[in-house]
Amino acid sequence: MNFDTRKYVIISFFIITGLMYGIKLFYMQVVDVDTWKLEAQRIAEKRREITPPRAVVFDRNGNKVVENKTYYNLMMVEEEMIDFDTLAFGKLLGMTKNEVLDRIEAIKEGEGKYYNPHTKKKQTNYQRIRPYAFLKELTADEMSKIAPHLDRFHGFYEEVTSMRNYPYSSGANILGYLSEVNQREIDNDKFYKPAYKIGRAGIERFYEKEFRGKKGVKYIITSARQNTVGSFEDGKYDTTAVQAKGIVLGLDIDLQAYGEELMKNKKGCIVAIEPSTGEILAMVSAPSYDPNLLVGRKNINKYYPKLVGDLNKPLFPRPLASEYMPGSTFKLLQALIGMQEEVIYPNSGFPCNKSVVGCHNHASATSVTEAVKHSCNPYFYAVTRRIIQQGKKKSSFEDSHIGLNIWAKYMHSFGLGVKLKTDITGLRAGNIPDSKYYDHWRGKGQWKFSAIRSISIGQGEVQLTPLQLANVAAIMANRGWYYTPHFVKSIDGKGPHPEYLVKNRTMVDTKYFPYVVEGMRRCVHEPGGTAPMARIPDVVTCGKTGTVENFKLVNGRLIKKPNHSVFIAFAPMDNPKIAIAVFIENSGGGGGTWAAPTASLVIERYLKGEVKSKAKEKRIMDAKLSLWK
Amino acid sequence: MRKNDSITGSFDWILFGLYLVLVVFGVSTIYSVAYNPENPSIFSFDEIYGRQMMWVGISLFLGLLVFLIDSDIYRKFSIPIYLFCLALLIIVLFMPPINGARAWLGIGPFGIQPGEFAKIGTAILLANYLSSFNVKQQNGRTVLVSLAIIAIPMLLIILQPDAGTVVVFTAFFFVMYREGLTFDPIVLKIVNIIPGVRFKSTWLGTHFIPILFVVVFLLVITLIVGHTPLLFDAYPGHEFSGYWRMFAALLTTAIIGYLLMRWLFSKRDARRAFIVAILGFSMSVLLTATVHSTFKSLPSHQKTRIELWLGIYEAEEGTGNVGDGADYNRRRAMTAVGSGGFTGKGYREANIANTKTNHVPECETDFIFSPWAEERGFIGSLVLVVIYSIMLLRIVAIAERQRSKYNRVYAYCVAMILFYHFAINIGMNIGLVPIIGIPLPLFSYGGSSMMSFSIMIFLLLKLDSQRKDVLN
Repeated sequence: MNFDTRKYVIISFFIITGLMYGIKLFYMQVVDVDTWKLEAQRIAEKRREITPPRAVVFDRNGNKVVENKTYYNLMMVEEEMIDFDTLAFGKLLGMTKNEVLDRIEAIKEGEGKYYNPHTKKKQTNYQRIRPYAFLKELTADEMSKIAPHLDRFHGFYEEVTSMRNYPYSSGANILGYLSEVNQREIDNDKFYKPAYKIGRAGIERFYEKEFRGKKGVKYIITSARQNTVGSFEDGKYDTTAVQAKGIVLGLDIDLQAYGEELMKNKKGCIVAIEPSTGEILAMVSAPSYDPNLLVGRKNINKYYPKLVGDLNKPLFPRPLASEYMPGSTFKLLQALIGMQEEVIYPNSGFPCNKSVVGCHNHASATSVTEAVKHSCNPYFYAVTRRIIQQGKKKSSFEDSHIGLNIWAKYMHSFGLGVKLKTDITGLRAGNIPDSKYYDHWRGKGQWKFSAIRSISIGQGEVQLTPLQLANVAAIMANRGWYYTPHFVKSIDGKGPHPEYLVKNRTMVDTKYFPYVVEGMRRCVHEPGGTAPMARIPDVVTCGKTGTVENFKLVNGRLIKKPNHSVFIAFAPMDNPKIAIAVFIENSGGGGGTWAAPTASLVIERYLKGEVKSKAKEKRIMDAKLSLWK
Repeated sequence: MRKNDSITGSFDWILFGLYLVLVVFGVSTIYSVAYNPENPSIFSFDEIYGRQMMWVGISLFLGLLVFLIDSDIYRKFSIPIYLFCLALLIIVLFMPPINGARAWLGIGPFGIQPGEFAKIGTAILLANYLSSFNVKQQNGRTVLVSLAIIAIPMLLIILQPDAGTVVVFTAFFFVMYREGLTFDPIVLKIVNIIPGVRFKSTWLGTHFIPILFVVVFLLVITLIVGHTPLLFDAYPGHEFSGYWRMFAALLTTAIIGYLLMRWLFSKRDARRAFIVAILGFSMSVLLTATVHSTFKSLPSHQKTRIELWLGIYEAEEGTGNVGDGADYNRRRAMTAVGSGGFTGKGYREANIANTKTNHVPECETDFIFSPWAEERGFIGSLVLVVIYSIMLLRIVAIAERQRSKYNRVYAYCVAMILFYHFAINIGMNIGLVPIIGIPLPLFSYGGSSMMSFSIMIFLLLKLDSQRKDVLN
């Protein structure tokens, strides 16, 4: 029998196999090539994003207020941990053997679990071959003690990170702090990845985009163990990370620190503005905290709950968000509006009759200037009555309705009752009541001036933030206009934002201001004025005190609490350099007792660089006010 | 017996040329894959390319040695050589295991694998047995003795265990088939048990080996390909299930097979070829459908076991692999091959199949086709497939021109062993064959495989060069 034809079976096996493989290769490498190219990219090419350190912040004098400090993470890769001596390692880190093991266990569990459809089991995201931070955010000092011994422990290495540092430890409520992004932020903005830091408060939050800089991208080739093997195509597509340019604030960090010193053991605020530019020189919120306490996850975990739980609310930015009744400082505005509306004249006089509102003992004011000096309650009651009930309608109810709205419009032009466009988050608008407000609370046509008279002396429903009040001081200094108060002077030499170069005019003509301003001068410098303690040698200061009565509802009964002490001022009288508002909560006494001297100390410090009135300084610093808890 | 004056006699330069081309391609790929800038010299023995150069040198020396010895010696000493190989296979079982198998004899990188050399010993003895004068091809006894010659080393290798080499030993079944050995007596005995059935011969028994091969191959392919549906990016929602792909592939194969048979056979046979194609196609479809439905009806734990064996899923534990763990090795190798594209990424530009990135494990040995395909693209891959195919056809041509049956059987043994290695190795790199760890002949890194394939081919060249001296 001849089996030679069987060679064809074998030959056809060879040929069919060759053809089949050729076809399959053609399919894979030519037809379906994109699928595999994508898969190859997914496997071996990694896009590493490099986040630059955040922008450095300077104050108006070029002092570095916020900088970046290098920190280290101690990384571990379990797969590479050979002959791991937990005892010796723990000793190096100051931990016990069990603590080391617990930490590793915590890392494994902390990575979360997911459902694996292949094994049909829930399994952890943790992988032996990936690096995880065994210890986070070690300082250079701590790391220098560990690093020399790390070669004994395979699988451990150091990684450099950067964190914020605040050399002055002040201005926390202005600067804000950073913390890790949450899932919503990751979803909303592609810039963020898990564990990225984002500005959580203050200007860090408001200027997040300006602070974070431009990310760099590096395309690398990675191994199956996720190690970098080389750069992709010699870095042809790589871009470098660009740190955001330096940010210069209008803040004077020395003044800020001094203000915080003065406000120790008190609750309240100091806001100082440079009237000619609208730059905020200092914004003290008392009590405050050291911004370095909220740097890094470790610190945040430790201190944040304490700060949140503190009954004095150090995290609360009072100057921006705390709405106070302005008290007598409000009278300046009533006088100006009255003159502008021509319901009073600079030399109008009203008797201090104390019939409707109380007053302290002084001679009846015969002019606006004198009324401001004495802060005469009946005078301003009368002025405001004339503003609000101008006699345009027969019914005094309807008349008040119209008058109040005119009055509110004036107030809005002073930046009150509206949110200022200041470059910080957490601002509140305060409250300037208008007809709608009272219609809502009291019923339409159910109220007239006599019902709402408290607003004439800055009590009742009127509420403003200290920042707004400081802006009023700046308006006084400028005699009728203001630049929106702002923090950032320039970014990368450019600035400020065009919005802050727009002069906002109030509805009161400049010609009416000198009468009020003169009253403010007398208030400080003349006998019988309410703020003699605000005097500074060689400087003409204009100021106005406020004493805010406040009540609190406790168990259904109104309890009168100690007065707030308020003072607004600017100096010098001609060509003013600083406008200021000071609030001291529940200090007792009047505006002249606590707020006025505090303001004068800040002004003195700013204008002269030092404070000569040591006795005054000591008195303020030693004072423990505001029902301190 | 007449001796040729020239030592080379009528030397087959084509086969030798193909051999050299493959060796050079192989070393260049190993160099690319394992390139270490600290030891850039190809002769640096600290690196695997340096060691491979050494193995190539040793292999060429052994080849020369084989060539210098008279070819008759191998025939006469076929039984001692075979027994020596068996002895080595027994000794190796007492060696310490490396990677879970007692396959290595010797120390470290200079060890040898007796399993590789046992193929040669078996080939020589099988050739010797089948060419003996007293062997009748149609005899059941012949089949059993041949099977025994193949099965003894196979069993010893199973004990190591080295599944890949065991599979390769089934290559000898095809040689038996070519030589007319038939399983018909065995099949008939079973079939004729059925009352009323009296077959004199069955087609199944006569062509038992190739049919078995086709059945196993289709079974495996069905299970692998049937799992992965083809998705069209342009038409989301439309998918082409793996079984439809199988159907399409079978249809294509049937048409190509029919055309080939028409071309190869005489006109009279063309009609028969048509019937064979139709019959083969419908049987394959039936088989595929059966496998599919059987597999679907299996309990899930058995499914998983089969999937693991096929390499569709890889056991996750201890692999250290990143990612899903499913089908890891095959998928990585396929990624390397597929991402090569038409022209490839360029020499030493492979990112996936690279010992440094190590995305494809064993990319210098079992998976060496993937760096080659990644770097040289479709053109390079096709060139390699064509070279191997030409080499195989050349060996068949050499086999068929032999006067001595001994030479022919040996040549077919070489052809079939090379075919198995080629088909399995490249097949698993392109996802057509389950992962079976055997090297790509003359290409993969490794001393034993280099030496054994070299000896195999040089012995063939020697036999061929002296073919005219032999009287059948």
